[in-house]
Amino acid sequence: MEEVDRILIHSLRQAGTDIDEDVQSVKQFSSELIVQAVVRCLRVIDPAVGNGLSPTLPPGMSARFRVGMSLAQACQDLGYKGEIGYQTFLYSNEPEIRSLLMFLVEKLPRESAEVSDQPAGKSALLQKAIAAQIKAQLALPWLPPSCRLPMHRKTQSPGPCHSFHAQPLSLPYSLKVPAKKQSKELKEYWREYLLPVTSQPSQAASVPASLLENHVSELSAAQEWENEWNSQGLLSRLTPEDYRSRKRMRLQKRIEEQLRAAAQSRPDTHNATRSTSDLSELLNSFAGATTGGDVLTKGTRFTHSEKFTFTQEPEKAAQQMAAAASALPSSHQSEEDLKAQQEAELSALQQQLQQLSVQMEEVGGDIRQLTVSIHQVSDELTQREVRNSERENTVRVKKQTIDLLPDAENNLIKLQSLVEASSKRVVHLASQWEKHRAPLIDEHRRLKELCGNREMESSRKLSEIKDLHDKIRQSAEEAKKKESLYKQLITEYETLPKDVSRSAYTMRILEIVGNIKKQKEEITKILSDTKDLQKEINGLTGKLDRTFAVTDELVFKDAKKDESVRKSYKYLAALHENCSQLIQTIEDTGSIMREIRDLEEQIETENGKKTVSNLEKILEDYKAIRQENSALAAKIREG
Amino acid sequence: MLKLLEKLSPAECPKLLHRVVDGLCGRSLPKRMEYGETWSLLEWGELISSLTNIFRVAVGKKCSDQEVQEMLGDLESVHAEAILQCVHARQEEIKQALVDRTNRICSSQLDDFNWQLKLALSSDKLSSLNTPLLNLCLDLTENGIQRAVTIEMNKEELNTLITTLEAANKVMLQMK
Repeated sequence: MEEVDRILIHSLRQAGTDIDEDVQSVKQFSSELIVQAVVRCLRVIDPAVGNGLSPTLPPGMSARFRVGMSLAQACQDLGYKGEIGYQTFLYSNEPEIRSLLMFLVEKLPRESAEVSDQPAGKSALLQKAIAAQIKAQLALPWLPPSCRLPMHRKTQSPGPCHSFHAQPLSLPYSLKVPAKKQSKELKEYWREYLLPVTSQPSQAASVPASLLENHVSELSAAQEWENEWNSQGLLSRLTPEDYRSRKRMRLQKRIEEQLRAAAQSRPDTHNATRSTSDLSELLNSFAGATTGGDVLTKGTRFTHSEKFTFTQEPEKAAQQMAAAASALPSSHQSEEDLKAQQEAELSALQQQLQQLSVQMEEVGGDIRQLTVSIHQVSDELTQREVRNSERENTVRVKKQTIDLLPDAENNLIKLQSLVEASSKRVVHLASQWEKHRAPLIDEHRRLKELCGNREMESSRKLSEIKDLHDKIRQSAEEAKKKESLYKQLITEYETLPKDVSRSAYTMRILEIVGNIKKQKEEITKILSDTKDLQKEINGLTGKLDRTFAVTDELVFKDAKKDESVRKSYKYLAALHENCSQLIQTIEDTGSIMREIRDLEEQIETENGKKTVSNLEKILEDYKAIRQENSALAAKIREG
Repeated sequence: MLKLLEKLSPAECPKLLHRVVDGLCGRSLPKRMEYGETWSLLEWGELISSLTNIFRVAVGKKCSDQEVQEMLGDLESVHAEAILQCVHARQEEIKQALVDRTNRICSSQLDDFNWQLKLALSSDKLSSLNTPLLNLCLDLTENGIQRAVTIEMNKEELNTLITTLEAANKVMLQMK
């Protein structure tokens, strides 16, 4: 009961009733407190009704009566099923008050929890924080610049802002430099001359931008490599380095083909001048817009276009260009002269290039024709040789037969024997070969099976590896999610109010439930015991009756003849009578004891109702009302 | 030109060389103020440009040590040694910088981008708009000239842009 009262008092306090600290149970509630509690609850539940009632009891008796009636009416409107009237408020008793208050407290609307039942992810939290900040900022009024306080500086004036400029950074131990390429000079550079990352960019404002750019590029490269390796690399069953080198070669070949196709497609449509002029434009654009100092860079660019594998002459021409350019005197010429000279050179070299490419085309055509004719002639030659050898063979055979003709029969016999011998030998050799072949074929089959098995094994293992990768990724994600959830819940838990200890209540509830279960078991046990006893009693009574009936008959039959039997029959009857009386008394005692218990319970409940004090109060109030009535009547008569 | 390097003591040589390489890689060149006494302004300019060229050629053509020595010509061995060491140490970086520079052959290159989120509250036609707008500012380099392109987008246009870029990324990945 104490916990129920405590919970009730706590909820009433939250609803706005102001209850003293030392009021611990509903028994101590006075009428004023009861009225206040009920009115405040009504106000929370249904403001329209509750605002019409005042929480304090008026002093006049009739007013009090009216207040009681209206409260009772309001509670009945809400749906309270028990018996309620003005007496529950003015002349209260504990159980009624408790049930009424519990009903009202249950009707109180639950606090609408902020929609935080779904644990929000990080981005949702961030968005909520952003929304809250923007709301707060929008709520502030705008002030002209001269009136702004420092706290408004961030939100109302633009403030310094830097745009995002990233510069390449130099980091030791980055992913791009594998360990074996770290030469001694590189390590010395790292030790002595490498500036810390924060002072590397030329402006301090670019430091975060450059760091972000660096990390993001490394991260995305690593992710791309992971994806590619997991999808295609594992399938190709190569080591990572082999896979990478193969990929690089494939890409280089592709680039070469495309560039060659693009550079050489023009001569088919127009004359060679277009292609070379485009090419020289392209090559010129390598050099950039600056002059003079970039002289040597032309040489550098040509190393990149080395992969074009032009024929020798354009390369020579380019080298000539580079040589000519580098032979430029490093003396101080004015920039315009330099430019004019370079342009003249350029045009001359372009013409040369055109001529050379025309020549190259012609020569190439000639070469092709010649190679085709060479092919044809060599084919003919081989054919003729084959025919020659065949004819030689036939000639030889015919010559031999002609030689053998004079001694025809002997030679025929000899030839036949030779033929037989050679056929026997062939058969013998064939059998040997068979003997040899069979085990080899078995061996071959066995090895093929082995190979096939191994392939299946490796593909199975690959799929297993992929599954493991997926599982790893999934569990890592889950672990991350759970950690963030945990952190979020901890922060929520810390912000929760701690005045009501839920765990104590829940433990108590669980205890009570356990107790009730035990009691239920005991009750069932007792019930079954009672049933058994009742069955026994019934059985015994039945037995008793039957035995008595039998003995009665028996003795009665003999009683007619014998006197002692008659006496024993009388004793028997008396015994039966007395015993049944005993049994009856015992049963009566039992029922009287039960009645006593019930009456004692009723006495207790009646005592709790403090009826006596209520009656005294009622008498007093009755007297007060009568006095009021007479006063009012006197007033009416006077006025 | 490189003879001018001899005016600097061998101990301070590497520092200057490394700063020159930093300038080659996209960061800032060595400051003239630190070496104001050693060289005049013209000499400074020539020295820096010739050093830059040496580094470019040495790494770009993948020259061996002898070839680099030949290119340096008649520079003192101490300084030549310092240049060689610098080339060895920074080879990867310089190569990366040259490759980046070659990549810029195409017509325009995106250097950086910036974005700002704005909320248009009202306009002259409507008193309450409440549309979020994105201001995307792209820094482009076209043929050596830098310019900034600003685009203002609302939400659907931004989504279109993002899907187009993702499709382009997919095509590029397939090409690889």
